[in-house]
Amino acid sequence: MALVKFDDFSYKYYGADSLALKKINLTIDNGEYVVITGPSGCGKTTLCRAINGLVPRFHRGYIAGHVYVDEKDTREHEVAHFAAIAGLVFQNPENQLVTLNVEKEIAFGPENLGVNPVEVRRRVEEIIDLLDLEHLRDKHPHEMSGGEQQRVAMAATLALNPQILVADEPTSNLDPKSAEKILEIISTLNKRGMTVVLVEHRLDLVAKEATRVVLMDRGRIVADGTPTEVLVADICQDIGVGIPKATEIYKRLNAKGLRLGSVPLTGEELALLIQEGTV
Amino acid sequence: MSFLEIFQYTRQDSIIHRLDPRSKLFLTLVCAIISLLFLDIIPLLIIFASLLPLLAAAKSLRRWAKSMKGLLVLLVFIMVFNTLLSTGPYPFSYSVSLTLRLVALMTSFSLFFLTVHPDELSQALIQMRVRFEFAFAMSMAMRYVPTLGHEAYAIMDAQRSRGVELDKGNFVQRVRNIIPIIVPLIIVSIRRALSIAESMESRGFGASENRTYMERLQFRRRDWSLVIVSLGVLVTVLYLRFIVGLPDLFLWNIGF
Ligand SMILES: Nc1ncnc2c1ncn2[C@@H]1O[C@H](COP(=O)(O)OP(=O)(O)OP(=O)(O)O)[C@@H](O)[C@H]1O
Ligand SMILES: [Mg+2]
Repeated sequence: MALVKFDDFSYKYYGADSLALKKINLTIDNGEYVVITGPSGCGKTTLCRAINGLVPRFHRGYIAGHVYVDEKDTREHEVAHFAAIAGLVFQNPENQLVTLNVEKEIAFGPENLGVNPVEVRRRVEEIIDLLDLEHLRDKHPHEMSGGEQQRVAMAATLALNPQILVADEPTSNLDPKSAEKILEIISTLNKRGMTVVLVEHRLDLVAKEATRVVLMDRGRIVADGTPTEVLVADICQDIGVGIPKATEIYKRLNAKGLRLGSVPLTGEELALLIQEGTV
Repeated sequence: MSFLEIFQYTRQDSIIHRLDPRSKLFLTLVCAIISLLFLDIIPLLIIFASLLPLLAAAKSLRRWAKSMKGLLVLLVFIMVFNTLLSTGPYPFSYSVSLTLRLVALMTSFSLFFLTVHPDELSQALIQMRVRFEFAFAMSMAMRYVPTLGHEAYAIMDAQRSRGVELDKGNFVQRVRNIIPIIVPLIIVSIRRALSIAESMESRGFGASENRTYMERLQFRRRDWSLVIVSLGVLVTVLYLRFIVGLPDLFLWNIGF
């Protein structure tokens, strides 16, 4: 069975007047890199929360349907039960750093789950090495930049050894350079075999690495497929999702009757296609 | 608020910093108890003089002196008031002793707080059987107090730029002016608290009865030595104070 399976899942926050998620059907398999995108308020964060049981366990509300994560129904287990399966990274790094230094922060999750101290220490060292955090080891959250904080927040989540990394707009508070670094780490993790669910608006930065793009609008999934399939669909423009410039040019050329061999997602790909075409 | 720095941890590498917080707590309590046993100038001066080498060993003498300077006004104030209000036979002498005792007490506690990292403190509490949730709440308060401060300033700036005059008017007016700061601050804080809780919940906070700790504090030989020496000093002082009694020399006072 799939790692994550939404089965006709609907959800309404307690006190809200419309559904945040409407009849979601979605399966995510091992090793995928799924980018979720859509206009503000369409339910992306809610979808992420549903993957580790925060919805409906932490946020009370009305539910219909089921979400199965690693074959377990999120209705029937505590959030903590999913901590070691689906790791969530949130938008604001400041609110995810709850201890006074980086080592403690990384150790926080596994300690909570009662992992043996020797193993906790091993994970801390491994992750500090992996995410290049050596120089931050003893720093207080206040002594770090936003990008560094977000990297530490991600490290703290990875310390739980999750099978899926769910990142909800992890780059939205960062400058372009730090954002790129975070996205680079995410794609490296995916290449090492980790399943990734990433909410991101700037599709030009992630479309190339992603294996799949899911487009949401007003609580529904309105498109789901490979990046090229979804990005050339007209629905993107209809709901106002920004597609990569290269893909847009491709579409315009297409409309004028000029067909390129394949759909470009980046400027380089486009340049290459045009070179091929003119040679 | 610079005088509060006397109780604020400073990163240093010294013998005192490396001691276990629990043995340091014991030392501090012994020093505090001894300070409370006396109300004469000479014994209090001796106590004070023996605290200074400890501060020096913690490489914190300069910092201590700096915050003490900030406290000087307050101390003089206490001294003057006590002299004027005290009804005893030697009011000035008495208030000098009181002030000395206060300084000795503060120095004892600053020895602890200057050299114990908040993380160590919460770990010490946990190992002294305080529930993890309480100890963690304390360290989280330390973590988020500066954040809250920044937020308060941001809100003040925002309100000023919208024309709220925060520093004008009489006392009542000024108190009223706090409202446009406090209300948004509370709302923002609740929102932040929810999102912190969400992140902690996702990382299994409170999930396991058997929470582990990557690092546990260890009572070493030097900690035991410190505890034994402090205990010895305490017993000796108690013996001298209550059984033998102090020689007249020690009871000297200024005379007015
Ligand atoms: N804690 C909450 N309580 C009540 N309603 C909520 C809560 N969180 C979100 N909502 C509502 O649920 C809907 C979906 O919100 P959600 O945060 O999932 O959107 P989003 O796609 O993540 O938006 P954004 O791009 O702005 O982050 C919105 O209408 C929002 O107002
Ligand atoms: Mg969101």
